[in-house]
This record gives sequence, C-alpha cells and structure tokens, in this order.
Amino acid sequence: MAKTGFCDSKPLLDLHKKADERRAPLRTWSNACGPIERWQPVEVDESRMAPVKMEPEHRWERRLSAQTSEGILMGFHEDSFTHSAADGCVEEEEEPVLLYPHGLQGLPSLQALVPSLLRHEVETALEKLDLIWDRAYAWDMFLDMARTQTRNSFPTADLPRHFTDLTRSVLVDWLIQVHELMHFQEETLYLAIHLVNRSLRAIKITTVNLQLLGMVCLFLAAKMEECLLPEVSGLCFLMDHTYTKHQLLRMERKVLLGLKFDLSYCPPLHFLLLLASVARCSAKAVWMARYLLELSLLEGQCVLFLPVQLAGAALCVSRQVLQEPSTPGGEAAWCLASSVHVGSETALLRIMHILANAAAKAHTRETCASFIKFSSPETMQVSRHAGLKNAPGLLGVCT
Amino acid sequence: MAHVTGVQYEPVAEIGGGAYGTVYKARDLESGQFVALKSVRVQTDQNGLPVSTVREVALLKRLEQFDHPNVVRLMDVCATQRSDQETKVTLVFEHVDQDLKTYLEKAPAPGLSPGRIQDLMRQLLCGVSFLHSNRVLHRDLKPENILVTSQGQVKLADFGLARIYSCHMALTPVVVTLWYRPPEVLLQSSYATPVDIWSTGCIFAEMFRRKPLFCGESEVDQLGKLFEVIGLPPEDEWPTDVTLSRKHFPPLLPRPITDFVPEINEQGAQLLLKMLTFDPLKRISALNALEHPYFQDEETLT
Ligand SMILES: Nc1ncnc2c1ncn2[C@@H]1O[C@H](COP(=O)(O)OP(=O)(O)OP(=O)(O)O)[C@@H](O)[C@H]1O
Ligand SMILES: [Mg+2]
Repeated sequence: MAKTGFCDSKPLLDLHKKADERRAPLRTWSNACGPIERWQPVEVDESRMAPVKMEPEHRWERRLSAQTSEGILMGFHEDSFTHSAADGCVEEEEEPVLLYPHGLQGLPSLQALVPSLLRHEVETALEKLDLIWDRAYAWDMFLDMARTQTRNSFPTADLPRHFTDLTRSVLVDWLIQVHELMHFQEETLYLAIHLVNRSLRAIKITTVNLQLLGMVCLFLAAKMEECLLPEVSGLCFLMDHTYTKHQLLRMERKVLLGLKFDLSYCPPLHFLLLLASVARCSAKAVWMARYLLELSLLEGQCVLFLPVQLAGAALCVSRQVLQEPSTPGGEAAWCLASSVHVGSETALLRIMHILANAAAKAHTRETCASFIKFSSPETMQVSRHAGLKNAPGLLGVCT
Repeated sequence: MAHVTGVQYEPVAEIGGGAYGTVYKARDLESGQFVALKSVRVQTDQNGLPVSTVREVALLKRLEQFDHPNVVRLMDVCATQRSDQETKVTLVFEHVDQDLKTYLEKAPAPGLSPGRIQDLMRQLLCGVSFLHSNRVLHRDLKPENILVTSQGQVKLADFGLARIYSCHMALTPVVVTLWYRPPEVLLQSSYATPVDIWSTGCIFAEMFRRKPLFCGESEVDQLGKLFEVIGLPPEDEWPTDVTLSRKHFPPLLPRPITDFVPEINEQGAQLLLKMLTFDPLKRISALNALEHPYFQDEETLT
C-alpha cells in the first residue's frame, strides 16, 4: 500500500485560525478549465445521424440505457439517434422559460440539429476534459454517467432523529478542511460526502461517532480515487486521538458492509465541467459554479437532487451573478448545454434558491471552509464576489 | 452478507496464490455449486482493507447489474472477525475451471486452433470494450487474470488494479505486470484505456506462441525487447513528459510480426500490429478491433 509522509510532517488542522491566515488551497485545476474557446459554428457530422446498427456485443449496455436514461436526459438516450434528425429532437416536458432566453429564435435550425449537435459537443467536451482517449466511447461514457447518477440522489432529506442538518454541515465543513489539507482530488471530497450521506441512512451511528464516520468515509473515498494514501495513525492524529486506530478500522468495516461495498458515484463536478465546456463558460463562471457546487455539500436538502441538476443550477446561478455580456453564439451554446440538465424546471429553481441563499450567507457562517478556499487568487476569489450577496434577490427578479 | 465463511463454504482445493492471499476452490453448501474464495486478512495494525480489495469489490458491484458474459461474477462478500487483531474479508466468485495460462499450457500440441484463438480474442475484446464503455480501466490484463470455462467462455477477473476513469484522475504510476505493460506506462507517461489494448495484443500473440511475447527483466529491458519487434518509434511519437530519452535505445527498424508469431494469418497480423502500436493515441480501440476484418471470416473452431 502506498505510503505518504503525512505522519511525519502533519500540519495541525487549526479550525480556529482566522479566515485569511489559512493557507491558500490546493493546486490549480488548470487542465480541467483550460482556455475557453470562443464559440465556433459546429460542423455536424452527417454520419452521426444515420441509424446506429445494433451489434450483439452492445446489447448489455443498450438494454440498460434504454431503461434508465429516459427522462434524465430528456430522451437523449441512444435510441434517439436511431430516429432521423427531424423526429429525434428535444422533447420539452415543461416550458423552460429561464433557460431559453433568446437564443433559439435567431437560430431556427438549431432545434432540429440538437441531438447530433449535442452528441458532438459532449464528445468534444469529454475529450477536452481528458476524460476519454477514444471518441468511440465518449457517448457510452456519458450515458454511463447519466445512468450512475440516477442512483445517487435520495428520496428524502430526512436524517435519523438525533442528527440535525446543522450537525451534518459542521461535519461536512470539517471534512472539506481535512480534504484540502491532504491535497486530495476534488472527486474524493464529493465521493466522501456522498458516502457520509448514505451511511447516515444505512447504519446506526451515535453522535459521538459522527466525526469518526466522516473520517472513514473520506478514507474510503481516497482508497477509491487517490494513489497516495494517508496512514491511519495520521487520521487519528487529525481527530485529536479521540478514537483509536482500532475504532477507525472497525468503523471502516461497518461502513463497507452497511453500504454493501457499493462505492460507485458520479460526482456533480463531472457534470459541471462537462456542461461548462459545452456552454463555453468563462473561467470565472466555472470557478464560481464550483464554489456554489461545493456549498451544496453543506445543504441537507441538496441530497434530493440529481448530480446533473445540482451542476446545472450552480452554473445558472453563477451566470446570473456574473452577468457577463452575452453573444448569440454563447447563448446558443448555453441552450445546448441546458438541454442536458433541464429535467424539471421546479427542481432547478429550488436548487438555485438554496445555492443563492447559501452563497449570500457563506461569509457569516461558522461553516466557512469553502468560502475561504474559494477566496484565494487561484480560484479568482469568486467567493468574495459582491454579486453573491444579492444572489437571492437576483433570482427573485428572474422568476 | 457477513456469514461465517467456514460454515457456508467448504474448501475443496487451493487454486492460486496472489499478492494478498490464496484463492480456494470451495463448495457452496447451500446450492451445491463450486465457488472460488479469495480472502484477505486485515490486521488492525495495517491501513484497513487494502485498496485493491476495496476497488475490486466496488467495481465488480458496479458492473454486476449488466450481467456481462465476459466478466467474472462476484457472488458475495463476507467479513469475519477472526480475533481482536484480525478480520478476514472473503470475496466469493463463481468458480471457473481454469485461467488462460493453464488453458494454453493444457492445449495439446501444436496448440490452439486458429478458430479457437479467434473466438477467445473476440470474447476478450468484447469484455474489454464493455469495461471501457463503462469507464473502467482493468490495468492488469494477463493470462493469469483471464478465466476460461470448460465450454470456452472467457471471463475477465482480478480487478485489484482496476479503477474508474475520472477528470483529474490520480494515476498509479506502476500498473500492469511487466511483460504486458505498454510503453507509455514503462516510460511513466500518462495513460488511459489503450493500456488494456496493449496487454490484449501481447495476449493475442501468446495464444499462438504459448509463451509470452516480450519477457523483459527490467523496465528498460522490456522497452528494448518491444522495440526489437515494433521498431524504435519516430522522434515525434516519443512522449515529451518523460525522463527516459529516445537516444537511449538503438535505432531499430520494425521486423515482420510473423517472425515472432509465425502461425498468425495476414488479417490477424494486421490487427496485432494495430494493438501493439507505440503511440497510445494511434492504438486501435477494443470497439474498432471487434470490427476488424480478422473477425469477419469465421474460422472453424476445431
Ligand atoms: N473465479 C475463479 N475461478 C477459478 N479460478 C480463479 C478465480 N479467480 C481467480 N482464480 C485463480 O486464482 C488466481 C489468483 O486470483 P486473482 O488474480 O484474482 O488474485 P491476485 O492475483 O492475488 O490478485 P491481486 O492482483 O489483487 O493480488 C488466478 O490467476 C486464477 O488462476
Ligand atoms: Mg491475479
């Protein structure tokens, strides 16, 4: 097992330092949000509209995608591509007032092109994000993400009686700090919080063991995502030796069994990067959306929503706050991206309100790890953007 | 879940020893079926359940809903507390008669028929393609980790090094057993799905040869061995992010692949070269390999 020097050089996790004294966070994510290209008219590859041949080898993937990606992607599951371009266009379930402001009128042909155009754009975005090496798998991978995420939301936001949303958010805030200290990947944080959410519902946890549970979930997420792992003794140190190594490992076993070893997850972050790339969002808009998305981890209500909806809502709020000058091309790109995440307009608006409110109050809260993290120059100081304070008001006007 | 292992499964024979423990053939006393048990002992002074076990179980759980014919079935996971200091975690798999290594060894001279090889390769690529389209990299394909039923059905196994693809993926620098390791991993450059294709190519050649194609003794030696076959790649294909220089190697020209795999037919040789392509971006994908003319003409299985 890989070892790191966490134990020798453990810096103290000081939760009481003043905001600005704390180290600027993490490395840059430059590879993931590289230079944003200007909108270029996309060449539509005719062959992609041709009916897809059914091969026996693919039937396993197909069977499932036909069942489960329905609705999530508004009919963008593979079968839409066996229709001709004309009848394979977007099925709008609700009138998406907010998301199609004025882009479509100028481009009447866009609607007809959406399925193949979207597929092309999604493939390009996945390629840019270094998510694929071979375009042949891009669409399959995207459908797999879409499918996996449907198992990642919860039917209710209720927690066992002895936990409040506040207790949970204190735990999440602490985990955000530990995660930052360990220089883990961003995915690891999202997976860890997802495991916390599931564990709280699947196994009996006492209030005393809540911190231990959080740490174990972060440790398990690291085992899935990271190639360098901290030592268990280092983790105990970070919890002030409140728990022994023995207790930590017992909790690990309990969580794994409680979750039936099912640790798969599709983080909203992947959808955010994908949507932002399709929509040609500016670097600043992406950073702000990333900040808002991280705030969603603290909000108990957010477990009700699909990762793709959370990502879409974070980008919507970020765009509203930044009010960057729009170009016809930019609007069209945004419309296209929206077609991926628009599921229910009501859900989207609810998330947007939750995020806007969280961002407006973030600096006054005790749980302000994300606020601090995203106030650094590396993250374009998005959390300090003045517009965030009136974000809820902004939304009020628009709806 | 979490039964007492000794009671439900009765060990019959030892199958193979791995990095973390032994694999046993056992009988499931409830169903009467044979199973394969792979267990890990976790001492409390270690770092908990090994990463390989966590990933193997999590990935197989994720894939199990698809019920793919070319992936081994994980039937159960049991955890038993052996003592205060030790927990045993056992993965219960469907039992498969042998791995590909044994299958090749057992094949009577002059080895597998061209039709049998074609069939095995089709199934192997089908399994790999399934993994890749579900965002899974296997990263340790070799004959020992590929199981073959007595009916000739291929099942990919040993997901201890596998992982799910992601954006800022933290990649373990050393993956894949040396002889099946692709040049980008040997050079410690970045890698992705093409790693599995390189390994599959090595296995393809081995099905004809019944011995491995490249048997290097160190990473540099391994690179030297593969350049002797595919030739030294041109300067512009050499990855820029690596420390080992191209000048380190003699300027070798590619040799006909049939010098090393004489029994292979022309289409097969073409496909093999596409899988053993130095540049991972130019290497064929599993999906495209399945469309290759090599698979078009059905060879007779006997
Ligand atoms: N389901 C099975 N049925 C029959 N034999 C199996 C089965 N699974 C594994 N084996 C045999 O046991 C050997 C070791 O198993 P496996 O490769 O899964 O473990 P390992 O090499 O120890 O894995 P790791 O790389 O995680 O240490 C295999 O090479 C194969 O011969
Ligand atoms: Mg093995």
